[in-house]
Amino acid sequence: MPDDNEMLVRASDLRKSYGDHEAVRGVDFEIRRGEAFGFLGANGAGKSTTMRMIGCVSQPTAGTLEVFGRDPLTEGAAIRARLGVVPQDNTLDGMLTVFENLVVYARYFGIKKRDARVKAAELLDFVQLTARAKDQVNELSGGMQRRLAIARSLINDPDLVILDEPTTGLDPQARHLVWERLFQLKHRGVSILLTTHYMDEAEQLCDRLVVMDEGRIIAAGSPRELIDTHVTKEVVELRFGAAHTAELAELALTLTGVGAQIEPLPDKILVYTDDADDTGAALEAREITPTSTLARRATLEDVFLRLTGRALVEDEA
Amino acid sequence: MSADTAAAQATVDRTAPGVATGAWRAFLLQMALYKHVWHGTVFTSVLLPILYMISVGIGVGSYIDPASTGGLDYAAFIAPGLVCSVAVMMLGNDMVFPVFGGYQDWGGHYLAQRATPLGPLDILNGHLAYAVIFRPFTNCTIVAIVLAFFGVYTSWWAALAIVAAALVSAALAPWLHFWASSIKNDANLNMIFRFAVMPISLFSGVFFPAETMPGFLQPLVWISPLWHGTELARAATADVAPALPPVAHIAYLAALAVAGWFAARRVVQRRLNF
Repeated sequence: MPDDNEMLVRASDLRKSYGDHEAVRGVDFEIRRGEAFGFLGANGAGKSTTMRMIGCVSQPTAGTLEVFGRDPLTEGAAIRARLGVVPQDNTLDGMLTVFENLVVYARYFGIKKRDARVKAAELLDFVQLTARAKDQVNELSGGMQRRLAIARSLINDPDLVILDEPTTGLDPQARHLVWERLFQLKHRGVSILLTTHYMDEAEQLCDRLVVMDEGRIIAAGSPRELIDTHVTKEVVELRFGAAHTAELAELALTLTGVGAQIEPLPDKILVYTDDADDTGAALEAREITPTSTLARRATLEDVFLRLTGRALVEDEA
Repeated sequence: MSADTAAAQATVDRTAPGVATGAWRAFLLQMALYKHVWHGTVFTSVLLPILYMISVGIGVGSYIDPASTGGLDYAAFIAPGLVCSVAVMMLGNDMVFPVFGGYQDWGGHYLAQRATPLGPLDILNGHLAYAVIFRPFTNCTIVAIVLAFFGVYTSWWAALAIVAAALVSAALAPWLHFWASSIKNDANLNMIFRFAVMPISLFSGVFFPAETMPGFLQPLVWISPLWHGTELARAATADVAPALPPVAHIAYLAALAVAGWFAARRVVQRRLNF
């Protein structure tokens, strides 16, 4: 039986530079067997670079990295034999059929042809593409191609599946289909590592995540812990007609005290509060009447906004 | 994973593949792709040589004095070069766009292979094995058989023309791989046809004795792998002495192959380590 506390990935002060540019600036994290772990961050935050190092196709510049207790530098191929990778661009072969894509990929792992065909059929069933088995990949929609890439990543019964931006570029329906399959994987106990810049995706799929910004990890924890630690329970979104950045910043000054923190954005003002009703009452008392008011629970998006916003202020100081 | 996948699980190789195994696994992709395009190669391997032999070998040949081709019937003179030319033509298909595309975000097969236990070297060797071994020994063999019907061989030694064609492939394929791996802009891809494949095909003594070319073009002939291959192939099919001792032709092609492989290895490793 696999040990649930087994560390699949362990990184310490991990760094990666390209010339003068330091893409990853000393990150520490650990990924345990059976968990869904996420790297959350904006484009260029260093998520994909970190993933490539874990995927043993990119050599760290400094720091230590262990995957399955092995050194990616010397045992890259053996590590990759136990990984499943879903790249952001799918890298499926458009000339081959859906079925052939899986069988050929299985062969890279030394899986015999007959077993590969059995496995391919089983995985096509899992991603609901059996009816398209004989079609060329080019004929599939974006969502179907992503599901096929997920099926392909499972061909070697990996100990860890790495997904880079699994739903970027997909329409909402296709996104939900991909999420649903990933939930199934989680349910089966497959360890998942994903990068995303969609906060809702991270919130729904990840047991634990790190928030990356400019090559550093700026927060870590479960989605709930991150929200509890970094933002208030609720958020009130206030819109003031067509008012924009400068006007909203000015308006925000008049809101001091109606919530724990006021965050003016280009199109709205966010009021972080532990009680949206109290905030509503405070606004009324001050005779402030936004054109629209939306009270909602705080999300990871708010965490990200506050964390990166604060980091920027600190840099300027 | 669930119990129902246990059967396949047992067969996954969790170790790093050796050199031959890695190349073989990468080669299997080319074979899967070949299944989709093999009918197109029928033209290159069957129709093209027939058309050449009828129009050039017999048609043009009827105007040519055998004395100018070392006493050989003109059809017999061009046949061995045709076997080797087809090898060069196939490389133009196999080692330019498919290599360039291997690294691209839109469905790059090298990137897909790289995420598996296969390393950059396996990926390079697998693709070269297809271009240097599989293609000449299948398609050039078909060409050689088709040409046999024109009565252009003197003995069974003619079969060695296929080996000569494979040697030409071996000498050229890694360099084409190197080129297609090195460039970033596909607009430059066609340059290889204009400045390498085309001149090599024209100035390698396939259709006329290379020594009849002006002196200043002779160095071009000597560096052309197709000329060396054609000399070897003609020795095999028509039992005529090649320009240099066979071992010298073979040594040149082998040296080109080895140097090209090292050059390609360097760039492939750079492109596939991020």
